[in-house]
Amino acid sequence: MVEEENIRVVRCGGSELNFRRAVFSADSKYIFCVSGDFVKVYSTVTEECVHILHGHRNLVTGIQLNPNNHLQLYSCSLDGTIKLWDYIDGILIKTFIVGCKLHALFTLAQAEDSVFVIVNKEKPDIFQLVSVKLPKSSSQEVEAKELSFVLDYINQSPKCIAFGNEGVYVAAVREFYLSVYFFKKKTTSRFTLSSSRNKKHAKNNFTCVACHPTEDCIASGHMDGKIRLWNFYDDKKYTYTCLHWHHDMVMDLAFSVTGTSLLSGGRESVLVEWRDATEKNKEFLPRLGATIEHISVSPAGDLFCTSHSDNKIIIIHRNLEASAVIQGLVKDRSIFTGLMIDPRTKALVLNGKPGHLQFYSLQSDKQLYNLDIIQQEYINDYGLIQIELTKAAFGCFGNWLATVEQRQEKETELELQMKLWMYNKKTQGFILNTKINMPHEDCITALCFCNAEKSEQPTLVTASKDGYFKVWILTDDSDIYKKAVGWTCDFVGSYHKYQATNCCFSEDGSLLAVSFEEIVTIWDSVTWELKCTFCQRAGKIRHLCFGRLTCSKYLLGATENGILCCWNLLSCALEWNAKLNVRVMEPDPNSENIAAISQSSVGSDLFVFKPSEPRPLYIQKGISREKVQWGVFVPRDVPESFTSEAYQWLNRSQFYFLTKSQSLLTFSTKSPEEKLTPTSKQLLAEESLPTTPFYFILGKHRQQQDEKLNETLENELVQLPLTENIPAISELLHTPAHVLPSAAFLCSMFVNSLLLSKETKSAKEIPEDVDMEEEKESEDSDEENDFTEKVQDTSNTGLGEDIIHQLSKSEEKELRKFRKIDYSWIAAL
Amino acid sequence: MAAGGGGSCDPLAPAGVPCAFSPHSQAYFALASTDGHLRVWETANNRLHQEYVPSAHLSGTCTCLAWAPARLQAKESPQRKKRKSEAVGMSNQTDLLALGTAVGSILLYSTVKGELHSKLISGGHDNRVNCIQWHQDSGCLYSCSDDKHIVEWNVQTCKVKCKWKGDNSSVSSLCISPDGKMLLSAGRTIKLWVLETKEVYRHFTGHATPVSSLMFTTIRPPNESQPFDGITGLYFLSGAVHDRLLNVWQVRSENKEKSAVMSFTVTDEPVYIDLTLSENKEEPVKLAVVCRDGQVHLFEHILNGYCKKPLTSNCTIQIATPGKGKKSTPKPIPILAAGFCSDKMSLLLVYGSWFQPTIERVALNSREPHMCLVRDISNCWAPKVETAITKVRTPVMNSEAKVLVPGIPGHHAAIKPAPPQTEQVESKRKSGGNEVSIEERLGAMDIDTHKKGKEDLQTNSFPVLLTQGLESNDFEMLNKVLQTRNVNLIKKTVLRMPLHTIIPLLQELTKRLQGHPNSAVLMVQWLKCVLTVHASYLSTLPDLVPQLGTLYQLMESRVKTFQKLSHLHGKLILLITQVTASEKTKGATSPGQKAKLVYEEESSEEESDDEIADKDSEDNWDEDEEESESEKDEDVEEEDEDAEGKDEENGEDRDTASEKELNGDSDLDPENESEEE
Repeated sequence: MVEEENIRVVRCGGSELNFRRAVFSADSKYIFCVSGDFVKVYSTVTEECVHILHGHRNLVTGIQLNPNNHLQLYSCSLDGTIKLWDYIDGILIKTFIVGCKLHALFTLAQAEDSVFVIVNKEKPDIFQLVSVKLPKSSSQEVEAKELSFVLDYINQSPKCIAFGNEGVYVAAVREFYLSVYFFKKKTTSRFTLSSSRNKKHAKNNFTCVACHPTEDCIASGHMDGKIRLWNFYDDKKYTYTCLHWHHDMVMDLAFSVTGTSLLSGGRESVLVEWRDATEKNKEFLPRLGATIEHISVSPAGDLFCTSHSDNKIIIIHRNLEASAVIQGLVKDRSIFTGLMIDPRTKALVLNGKPGHLQFYSLQSDKQLYNLDIIQQEYINDYGLIQIELTKAAFGCFGNWLATVEQRQEKETELELQMKLWMYNKKTQGFILNTKINMPHEDCITALCFCNAEKSEQPTLVTASKDGYFKVWILTDDSDIYKKAVGWTCDFVGSYHKYQATNCCFSEDGSLLAVSFEEIVTIWDSVTWELKCTFCQRAGKIRHLCFGRLTCSKYLLGATENGILCCWNLLSCALEWNAKLNVRVMEPDPNSENIAAISQSSVGSDLFVFKPSEPRPLYIQKGISREKVQWGVFVPRDVPESFTSEAYQWLNRSQFYFLTKSQSLLTFSTKSPEEKLTPTSKQLLAEESLPTTPFYFILGKHRQQQDEKLNETLENELVQLPLTENIPAISELLHTPAHVLPSAAFLCSMFVNSLLLSKETKSAKEIPEDVDMEEEKESEDSDEENDFTEKVQDTSNTGLGEDIIHQLSKSEEKELRKFRKIDYSWIAAL
Repeated sequence: MAAGGGGSCDPLAPAGVPCAFSPHSQAYFALASTDGHLRVWETANNRLHQEYVPSAHLSGTCTCLAWAPARLQAKESPQRKKRKSEAVGMSNQTDLLALGTAVGSILLYSTVKGELHSKLISGGHDNRVNCIQWHQDSGCLYSCSDDKHIVEWNVQTCKVKCKWKGDNSSVSSLCISPDGKMLLSAGRTIKLWVLETKEVYRHFTGHATPVSSLMFTTIRPPNESQPFDGITGLYFLSGAVHDRLLNVWQVRSENKEKSAVMSFTVTDEPVYIDLTLSENKEEPVKLAVVCRDGQVHLFEHILNGYCKKPLTSNCTIQIATPGKGKKSTPKPIPILAAGFCSDKMSLLLVYGSWFQPTIERVALNSREPHMCLVRDISNCWAPKVETAITKVRTPVMNSEAKVLVPGIPGHHAAIKPAPPQTEQVESKRKSGGNEVSIEERLGAMDIDTHKKGKEDLQTNSFPVLLTQGLESNDFEMLNKVLQTRNVNLIKKTVLRMPLHTIIPLLQELTKRLQGHPNSAVLMVQWLKCVLTVHASYLSTLPDLVPQLGTLYQLMESRVKTFQKLSHLHGKLILLITQVTASEKTKGATSPGQKAKLVYEEESSEEESDDEIADKDSEDNWDEDEEESESEKDEDVEEEDEDAEGKDEENGEDRDTASEKELNGDSDLDPENESEEE
């Protein structure tokens, strides 16, 4: 039994992945991307989502690795906070409250305790780059109010800001200006494209900028497709060279880690790699499917990734080979087909890539595949009128798929094609059976199969704006050469030249309802005789559906004037009507219930009702602030058992709906707590990998320094009697990472504890020991250097520092001891 | 779950490769093939999800594997006021996969990260690991090995929690009781252990050969009146190497009963077993057994006490290739594994080679005792790396597909003989001429046959050849005549055609019009001639509408874009040709059969113009047809433009209006009327 809570609207997938540049982890194992209010951590190998970091209360606008600790991640959001995460375990470490809306985030290894953010100054469209000092504190929430201004009047997009030459300067572009701010000199140089007024160069405004990691070189992308490479000799003197391949705007630029090559991408959906910054040496990775919006490079330099406008991230190897695709629900374009359920795979089906139908698994929130319906090379260019897949329907338990594609260049030049695909069980795939050119003279408005179980002949009905509806049936096309079946038109119906707007079959397939603008006509599906008409004069019919099971005698129609009518087919009279501006009306295939979503100025409301009862079963107000475009009932594999009347409609099916911004939402009754508890139960298996030969080499190297260490295994290395006895170390190692104060703060205390235990130890040895501790936590060996540096830094500066943090008793004790120690040895170093 | 089996040297090693479906939604299928690779497949789209090669895959091949129980990820956050929809849903993420190897080590592989998670070695087995079982909730892992021991691992620390001798020979299979307090182990005999104390609780006889699979089939005892201690009364199932019988045992309170309660018989050694647990007394246990011969046997049985006879399967599933042509015979495709879906009504079948298996969901139909699925897996052999990354599937589009373009029969509803009501209306309209025309036709035909000899003398027309061609449906003969470009020849031939052949000729022309556009151009000439010359004859036919419906639709669709222009053009052409024709027939020597007609026409000659106009309105139907070809006629185009020019001078409005009226008439031909009523 499921604990019954309130029904809540939950987002179940299809969140945006391409809003900002994705960020790689230092070892290229993970990739981070912002997704609405969350940060998602994906594995670059398996494309699986490892963690979802949630905590922000508004759109996350930027993420960056912590330059001081590559196992941590900073994120900033419109809610005015910067959060620090431990992404391996998915834990929030710290929150810095800045207060104003943050639009982008940059970190710099050279600026240790501050990050850069883009904030919005008074006027709505003026943005500033400011540096925020992140105070050191042990508490979870820290106010970070210390902002220092860096650059004014910049573009909002983070693509227009870049830090270069190891943080010596920052470059920002806006319109025709390139401004460079030098941190040391605190001066800004501004360069204007001289030819900007020129007609020939009318479209050369800046779109993005990237800085060479080690040299004084800035690459800027332009509207006209050119890339300019600026080389500086001086603050004022520069030369630039031009690289031109893109014919449309350069969307993003990125230098490789070493700076030897430059990557660029745009609407052509081709990733271009410029080697040695010359026009001759370029490599391409074409056919990436959709406009490249962002490019990022892993810190290790082995991977690139491109974010695309169709909500996917492609992970690309250094040798320009795509290795993985992280694909969300494709949401590049508008959804014409609506939501459907493939009876065979139980997947959600809707428009996908251009000319494709996407099959999306709701259970695993993953795209299964794209079915290429149009089968034409997609040319990604501005202003081209493409063939659109406008309608699709499944029939006969998934054995048939009907698709309609259209292309309309001008009012009169309509190209229309309907394809009927048969599912071939032998090859487990769809095969084109019949192709119909111009099935109607005007756009097809509705398409439906007769899904009655005992119908002997597959039947399809198309309704069109040309005033006709056509009935297509499957007939035997066999001749002496082959056995074949094909679709032919069986009947053409019309009603006084009105436009046919909707059609649907009754559950048993005996009746066909076709709406002609304001009028609903009922046809006998055997003789195709017009049985009766209903007309309410309440505006054009927007939705039409029959009741099911016990309510099969009812026909429901929702009109554009906001009236929902229910007709009784036995008495041929209006049963009831209600004032409801219905946007979406969907019958549940497993019950009598019908869900209607109404649209008002405040938001969308859900009504679930049975046609036979005047009172709705369930009402939920305000399910979404946006317009709801489509909805669908998805039958459950295993029925739930809600007993309370209000939730019974969710027992056998689940209702999904798609809003205008194309987020897929559903209803859930489980309380958030219930969903959360299993995490504590989840299997926590520690990573313990056996030693590799490489590890043995490293291990031997250490043995020379410390004779006491055991020879063989790391397990024994860990069990050093030395370190285990010291309480400070055990405290440090056994306290969860998210409650620890910052590493820099702990460091002095840590070093101190080691000093107390061993008087003879030299300062050099100490970090080595520390390193071994770190090793246990399976960190990289190059951490070693960082760590020694840090130790020295903090021990020098830490003395003078004012400790304002709240300390525990034991820590205070430690600190007291710490004061008493003689630090003269440091001077001797 | 999966029967292990990597080393082929051991005759008593179980057959089949280790493989398993991921728990809960069966989203993944893991298969450790004999080449040492672990491959994880997505069951929903049959795509290779990931491939992992353990570093010692050649020395220590994988012998068994088991998925860890699903971990639930916290994905939903509470709804907030500001933004209504917050939560991200993704449930039951399965992650860890335990692999036992031939050298005794156990690998934990993370399918989310795609890398080795940890390796359980120290203090474990020193021989081949035969079976691994995860404990449902305590985070423990149990493994058994050829070294006769059973090891309990703590997965969190990756250390051995307990190790004890399980049998005198190698231990080949394990199973944990539904309540998690007992453990079944089997070499040849089966033992039930209490997990807390590691003491033997019960002994069972077992099999003659090593037991390859053990499974509890019920989670509640059949007799619910007695207090349930978690184990007593439960049934479990065992299958063994080289054994065609699966035994069912019951855990009883008294110690003496050691033999099997009942057994299932299958055709070969079981390699993969899956079952649906029965949750209450009435619900039968569903069992799917994959045998080494590649068949699946399905059993459905309510477990209730003894049954002496071994039960045979309710349903057998086989898969075979379609035998192409007469030469190749269908070959069986082995099924590798079968798992019940969560709705218990369908089965996931994995078949083909272990290198590139196909995964399919098959709905179960319990009534059929034998299911043979025909599957073509020939194109599955080529590994499709490209599709694996882009996830694009291209449905087949081949030339066998039927193509319907406007005008082809089937594109529009066929014009059926009008329903009786409308026919009456029609007959009213045409009743006058109807009966007479039959007589006339008969007469004309008679005359026609008589006169044929005379006509033959002329060489500039082929009416006889064409008639014969039409009658015998001789393709070559027809081609010879119809492929001419000589307009005069066409005219003369059509003029001399006997009336009864007109309809067949038109039908032949329609057929050819639907074909290649090049031939259609020629046919248009013919059609035009036929319609201008024989318009009057055609208009007398009562069943004209159904007979020439397709032709009408064809032309209608082809001239759609220039509707008004062609209407006008057609009208003018008809006027002109009829005027000239009537003039010609006056003067020229007409064929003998026309002698009668000439008489009639002469009678109405005075008012010829008016009459023709009248006829027009009647014959509109034909007109439309005519327009089509006229539009294609290049040589008449100039005329067209002239006509248009005139038209404009006359004042377009009036003209088009009248035209519409006429068209309206023509549109409301029987077929349309019938539809609307």
